[in-house]
Amino acid sequence: MVLVFLPPLFIFLFSFLNVNRRLIALLSITIVIPAIYLFFHPFVNEYFLVDKLNTFILLISSVVGVGVSLSMIDLPNRIYLSEKAIKRFYRFFGIFWLGLIISILSNNMGLFWIGLEFATLSTVYMIKVKDSIMAHKEAWRYLTIGAVAISLVLFGIILMYASAKNVLGEEAMNFTTLLENSKAINAFLFEIGFTIAISGFFIKMGFFPMNLWLADIERAGIYPVAAFFSGILESAIMLGFFRLTQIQMHINYSHLITFIYVYAIFTLFIVSFLIYRSKDFVTTFALSGIEHMVLITLFWVSGGHFAALLHLASHAFLKPPLFLSSALLEEKGKYRFKGALRGYENKAIPLLISLLLLGIISLPPSPMFFSEIYGFKSILAIVTNTQYFFLMIFTVIVILLLLSIIFYKFITIYQEALYEEKNQNRVVYKSEIMMLILFVFSLITLLLPQVFHYIQGIIQ
Amino acid sequence: MIDILIGFFIATLISELFTTRLYRLYGWYAFNSLCLGFIALFIGFKVSDSAMIINGILTIIIKFLFIPFVLKSITVKFNIPRNIVPNLKIYYSTIIVPIILVFTYYLVNPILHNIAYNANYVALSISSLFLSLLLIIEHKNVAPKIIGFLSIENSLFLLAISATKGMPMLVELGIFVDVLMFIVIVNILFKYQGDY
Repeated sequence: MVLVFLPPLFIFLFSFLNVNRRLIALLSITIVIPAIYLFFHPFVNEYFLVDKLNTFILLISSVVGVGVSLSMIDLPNRIYLSEKAIKRFYRFFGIFWLGLIISILSNNMGLFWIGLEFATLSTVYMIKVKDSIMAHKEAWRYLTIGAVAISLVLFGIILMYASAKNVLGEEAMNFTTLLENSKAINAFLFEIGFTIAISGFFIKMGFFPMNLWLADIERAGIYPVAAFFSGILESAIMLGFFRLTQIQMHINYSHLITFIYVYAIFTLFIVSFLIYRSKDFVTTFALSGIEHMVLITLFWVSGGHFAALLHLASHAFLKPPLFLSSALLEEKGKYRFKGALRGYENKAIPLLISLLLLGIISLPPSPMFFSEIYGFKSILAIVTNTQYFFLMIFTVIVILLLLSIIFYKFITIYQEALYEEKNQNRVVYKSEIMMLILFVFSLITLLLPQVFHYIQGIIQ
Repeated sequence: MIDILIGFFIATLISELFTTRLYRLYGWYAFNSLCLGFIALFIGFKVSDSAMIINGILTIIIKFLFIPFVLKSITVKFNIPRNIVPNLKIYYSTIIVPIILVFTYYLVNPILHNIAYNANYVALSISSLFLSLLLIIEHKNVAPKIIGFLSIENSLFLLAISATKGMPMLVELGIFVDVLMFIVIVNILFKYQGDY
């Protein structure tokens, strides 16, 4: 397991030397080997846990890490980044990745929090890499709000720990022990802690009332930062959400459903209109990321574990390449949709980006199409089993209406990008093509029946 | 003795809210951390918990001595304005602070029945958490916001030692490392603020 920590650690160390971006990209690829090794060697101890759920998320985040490293090779050709800034970016990228691997593999809630905090703090500087007043302001904003969000998570963890310390001792800090002894926990205290911790997670993912916070930060930072947020950070936070909700499901399922549905629908309501009004690619993708996180939480708490995991994986393979492709789409600082998909010398590029753009709104054969079908199936299963039948039906209709607004906006963007205005001689670098191929290949892999079968077996 | 120290802990935090000078704010934060360190030491000796004693010593070294010193040198180095007038008028704060203290107690009353030990300390640590949030909200300047976050961290540390008799050693040490990294990031953000 130690091997999985080495690539980010080496990236951190190499950043102090003369940075060779190709070498770092190669180094990041090596993470796939230990990530696959962990698939076949599960284990659990006091601090770490390697099971089907987190190895799956580790592999997804590893692929995203590799993709981002590839895109970094030629990013300085697109936006101005000084050599010093690139070095510092890699330094904090190493810490960020290391922190999130710790979070993903941790069995201990405290260790999970420490990894998340490391990632949060290192992101602050990664936002600042771009030399602009806006990036500087947003870095400070992220530091303040991110720190408050992460403090809420710690507050919740302390209360959850206190709820079981009497019975379980220091083992009360472990996800597995809490799950196995969920009946012995002080339910009231756990639920309070759970609510506070989940609110912290939601703030970090840009849920209500912090919807524009994340979008502004992703707009202000360089493209790889937004890709990290959507592909790695959100996956790690989601894993924490999955682990805690598994325990809460045993304690009080109806409280969980009510809390998550109300929170999620408020968020979706606001996000859908914000997407409708958005005027540039990065902001639209950032807000759409919140929408997908909402759907994952809804699918998961409704019992659609397969749908939630498939949606998480699809989102992690669709959104980072879209953010990274924004460097092409917004060439020379043109933050507009019109003509963004025109004028490329390599005709495969607009095709690949179009596939990703349409895939994110779940058009078949995107894996998201299947995850949404299965997800809504699980939501409807809840509807038929509840005493609040009409309320739930109304809720589902509202969700579908809000999703249709987002669908309409994305189709409009696609049409404007493909059919309006002319552009000429747009250069595409090899590393960008490799990055796009990597993500498209990963998406195709997700569609294999064996992969479907594997994901179905993650949560029995 | 612990009661007195917790009283001082809250008093220093309230003083932070009314301070209009930056160095004085750092000073109150240092005293706040000193009280916290002694609380951890007293509880640690009382329950013979070596991990908590180590945490108490680390709190005094890092938060009472090291962090205020670093923050002061950052202030001098980057010429940060030392006049920090809160957005919230003092007379409003004078009303809000007792309201937070009293209402937090009633708000967390149901929780207190579920806490096995030191229930009153838990109420105070949660109210100090709200007071720290108020510190973040009431200031426009960055420096008091940083102290606000560090005070939140102190409040959570107090909550951890009072509600759970301390968290596992590794977690506590990890939190200390995180606080140090927070200070490093703050330093870097100030250092490169003129890069663009």
